[in-house]
Amino acid sequence: MSSANPGLAYDNTPPFSAPLRFLLTAPLFGIAAGLVLLLDPSALASRWTPGALAAVHLIATGVMLQAMLGALMQILPVVAGAPLPVPRGIATATHLLITAGSLGLSWGLWQGQPPLTLGGAALLGIGLATFLAAAMLALLRAPAPPGQGRTPRDLRLALAGLAVTAALGLLLATALATGAALPVALPDLVNLHAGWGWMGWGGVLLASASWVIVPMFHITPAYPKPVVQSWTPAVFAALLLWSAVMASPWQGARLALISLLCVLALAFALTTLHLQSRTRRSTPDASFLNFRAAMLAIVAGTLATAVAIVVDHEAAPVIAGVLILHGGFVGAISAMLYKIVPFLAWLHLVQAGIKAPNVKKLSPDLPVRRQLRAHSASLAALLAAALWTPLAPIAAMAIVIEFAWLLVNLSRVVNAWRRAGGQWQQGPRKKVQNTV
Amino acid sequence: MTLIADVLAQDHRDCDHAFARAEALVAKREWSAADKATAEFAADLDRHFETEEQVLFPRFEAVTGMSNGPTAVMRGEHAEMRRVLAELQNALRRRDADDFSGEAETLLILMQQHNMKEENILYPMCDARLVLERDTLIATISGQLAHEAST
Repeated sequence: MSSANPGLAYDNTPPFSAPLRFLLTAPLFGIAAGLVLLLDPSALASRWTPGALAAVHLIATGVMLQAMLGALMQILPVVAGAPLPVPRGIATATHLLITAGSLGLSWGLWQGQPPLTLGGAALLGIGLATFLAAAMLALLRAPAPPGQGRTPRDLRLALAGLAVTAALGLLLATALATGAALPVALPDLVNLHAGWGWMGWGGVLLASASWVIVPMFHITPAYPKPVVQSWTPAVFAALLLWSAVMASPWQGARLALISLLCVLALAFALTTLHLQSRTRRSTPDASFLNFRAAMLAIVAGTLATAVAIVVDHEAAPVIAGVLILHGGFVGAISAMLYKIVPFLAWLHLVQAGIKAPNVKKLSPDLPVRRQLRAHSASLAALLAAALWTPLAPIAAMAIVIEFAWLLVNLSRVVNAWRRAGGQWQQGPRKKVQNTV
Repeated sequence: MTLIADVLAQDHRDCDHAFARAEALVAKREWSAADKATAEFAADLDRHFETEEQVLFPRFEAVTGMSNGPTAVMRGEHAEMRRVLAELQNALRRRDADDFSGEAETLLILMQQHNMKEENILYPMCDARLVLERDTLIATISGQLAHEAST
């Protein structure tokens, strides 16, 4: 064991600026995705348009990745007893690298400049490798006592899923930039990249967060033990087998494994919806409702994916992508940001020895509710635009408004933290009180 | 085989349910029932903290020799939660449902991140390090939780 207080002490909390820079950058990438759709109204015509590829990567490597890294910087110490080494340095390096990488990658995809795409992918790869190396070091040093919860294992697997997604992305970007031969057909490799991203990274991460968040914060019964124990390994097994048969001519096996992945996604979302329906909290807040809506979007998006596999129609994969990325992941991330940022502000005030206003004074309900309604409206607009592209500018504006509003709401929390006396350069930390 | 982790994690869930009952009654502005439910929740939470501070932590500290280790951090967090609980009760006395809801939300996040630390890290450490006296300790903990609950 590396310290007397493995991950437990407030001293292990990284400075507020370390996670916050990621969490505030995420909405900026959402705004950028909206601007791409605004300037390129034909983007939603198919999943293969340059505009769609750019928007998808702005959401995945901009919004999702930034939010994930920001949250991980904070939660690794709490759930895994694994504080990151030199958090401020890792935060600065990773944040700069993935921000630049995400911009380069998306711009290259949009403007058809493969060298820029590859450069962006490489920066993203280096940024991720930096973070993953630090996280792995932290997790290896973390104590693993008997009976430990499953979250650290699932977190490790989510990081592994992210690493595979990134490696496949780098391979694709290299092939596009250099014309190098690929082991499988390009569309198949793109499907593998997307499949690992959706399920191996995003799905496993969302599930591993949900095992904790839903029972504890929504006060529901726990997930059934077999689900928590076997869901993530099943997803990984299915992904690995699917990847293995991709180079084979066995169409039937491919279809069976994709169907299995869809069944697993449905099982997770439906179990979560069932548990949430048994919440003991009488007045579900906006964040809770949005998390629930995200699960419904995942159910719908999974069904749309199944349709897209059997029906050859340009709109089906776009609808599936919109439902899963925007409805599912962005919805769940927005819901979580509204819990994480006010709590961090509160925690840092308390740590600085300041009497902190409660989290609802730091982040009042009404603007949150309104912004989350804007999220639902932009999801509806995106779906309508996927079916009838002339609506694309309206959907694009809705996306810009949604994310700008998110940024304003989160910035309000930071302003409230400042007004309450929060300072970026914190003085000596409050000592833990021994009350008995 | 029952573990210390099982008994105390179950008590965390019981405290959560008491919390949810109080929160629901305040939301409905059923003030006298809310007074009773909040008092019950406060008693449950206090009983849980005291059982840890008076029974479990001293044994962990004696066996490991770590008196300024994880248990000191947990005691500090108990103090923080007691402070927020006092604010919550204060809001209830003022019949200020909005303030109650804000303090409740703060307390819930604080409780759950504390529970995660205890359930993932501290309790498994206790089960491992106090293995020789675990059964006796569980009996004492269960007794204290049950005894004070009935008084």
